[in-house]
Amino acid sequence: MVATSLLLGTFVLMAGCYGALYCFARLRRDRRLAHVAVACYVLQAITAALLMVTALDFWWKALLLASLAAYWPIPPLTWRFLERLHIPEEQMP
Amino acid sequence: MFRSQHLALKYFAAAMTLFGIMVLAGLLASTHYVQDGFLLNKLDFSITKTLHIDTMIIWLLMGFIGSVYWFLPVELERETEGVRLAEVMFWIFCVAVAIVALVFIFVQYGPATEMSLWFINQGRKYVEAPRWAAIGIVAVVLVFVYNVVATAIKAGRITGIMAVLMVDLIPLFGLYLIAFPSITNMSEDQYWWWWLVHLWVEATWEILIGCIMALALMQLLGTSRRIVETWLYIEVGLVLGTGILGLGHHYFWIGTPSYWLGIGGLFSALEPLPLLGMVVHAVYDAGTHRMKTTNKPAFFWVLAEAFGNFLGGGVFGFMMTLPQINLFTHGTQWTVSHGHFAFWGAYGCGIIAVIYLALQKARSVQMLDSVAWKWSFALLNTGMLGMVGALLVSGISQAFYERAMGGSTLQAFIAAQNNVWFVQGIVMRLVFGLVFAAGYVMLMVDLLRIGKRRAVSETLAPRVAGGPA
Repeated sequence: MVATSLLLGTFVLMAGCYGALYCFARLRRDRRLAHVAVACYVLQAITAALLMVTALDFWWKALLLASLAAYWPIPPLTWRFLERLHIPEEQMP
Repeated sequence: MFRSQHLALKYFAAAMTLFGIMVLAGLLASTHYVQDGFLLNKLDFSITKTLHIDTMIIWLLMGFIGSVYWFLPVELERETEGVRLAEVMFWIFCVAVAIVALVFIFVQYGPATEMSLWFINQGRKYVEAPRWAAIGIVAVVLVFVYNVVATAIKAGRITGIMAVLMVDLIPLFGLYLIAFPSITNMSEDQYWWWWLVHLWVEATWEILIGCIMALALMQLLGTSRRIVETWLYIEVGLVLGTGILGLGHHYFWIGTPSYWLGIGGLFSALEPLPLLGMVVHAVYDAGTHRMKTTNKPAFFWVLAEAFGNFLGGGVFGFMMTLPQINLFTHGTQWTVSHGHFAFWGAYGCGIIAVIYLALQKARSVQMLDSVAWKWSFALLNTGMLGMVGALLVSGISQAFYERAMGGSTLQAFIAAQNNVWFVQGIVMRLVFGLVFAAGYVMLMVDLLRIGKRRAVSETLAPRVAGGPA
């Protein structure tokens, strides 16, 4: 139970690291940092894989896999949206 | 400055005073854990804990109200309607809080009669204030609602932020009414009581702080209205979409139907998703402004708010929100760890950021910066991280030894309280509590002094250059 709980925390923490590092990489146009961001997402996926062998019920595992898939596009989508939002109004079509 | 903004400064002063009482009560409550018999029959744990959590609610509420009174006249370009009444209500609010605190400290409890409910303690966690004081809070909030709505109507201008704020004020007021009924069925009472506690904190307050942060970002970074309003709408949609039915995670073990296990687990698991979006937004804003701002303390407290919300609410919440885990963690120090981190991240940091913004304007300073705010920022956040880490260790030991191994018996509870991991965690919580208290002292020193000297020198500079004014 303790291990499962800590894995759940790590799962979200890695999502946060992925999101934050993705942004830093875009801001600095740093490819290495972008790789580190992807590495965090891979760690999140590994955490999800470990959670699959815990005693959690099937539906919670399915939910974790679904949310793992949902976490991947959040930073790029949010970033693109923010960039479009920050275009000065006079430049908007 | 508008009169409403002077009132806001009074609210901020009261909020910071209550913040200090909260810290002091927290230190006393954590000492109760470390030293048996500490202040026994004089100031028991039940009282210090009540003071700790009630002052937390009230200082944040005062911070929110102060923030709105600060931004309202700027947003609507006119003085707040009924500001004189609001000033009277502020003093009534302060006197009521002081009387309730004195009753909690000196009277403490009474017989199981209506009289106790009216004048001593209503006995429900977070809303222990006796009924007369609860009526006072309703009156204060009603006047606050009137101020906001009447000002918007008189100004003939309802911005997107104002529209969201005004709609949010309805549940802010309405849900508090659940503090009144005394239902004798425990499950039923808890069912409705969570509407107040959860829906205030994870819906109404989230939106309120969202509105306040939107107004703050416009002032702090000059972000355009189009951007903050669009982001606010998205945040409102996501927070309400996950937060309202996330209420279910409180319904797991209070005698409600079992479908709440599924509903609560599902929507709580979705709650970190919008928080990740907020982290991305915070990094984006910080990066595009190259960390340059005229108000460094406010800027860093806003960043702390975004990250603290994600870590405290998202990471620490997700660790224990699924029912299979929550069965073991519910009501342990693990929950306390999450509660401390989430409240601090989501609300405490945001209110402090707004206070720094207000001080910059009130003291007419171009560039607000100091050494003391860095110390307070470091001490407060280190203290908080240390406390939540220590409580996490204690909570894990409770969940393991008391719940999983001991089967939640009274004997297992006592055994877990003496477990070395639990004890060390509790001691370290007190140590980091002292670090947090030191941060509070630095914060107060800084708030009292920041910008004053510079404001004086900036005022004198043109006179010196151009001769006597």
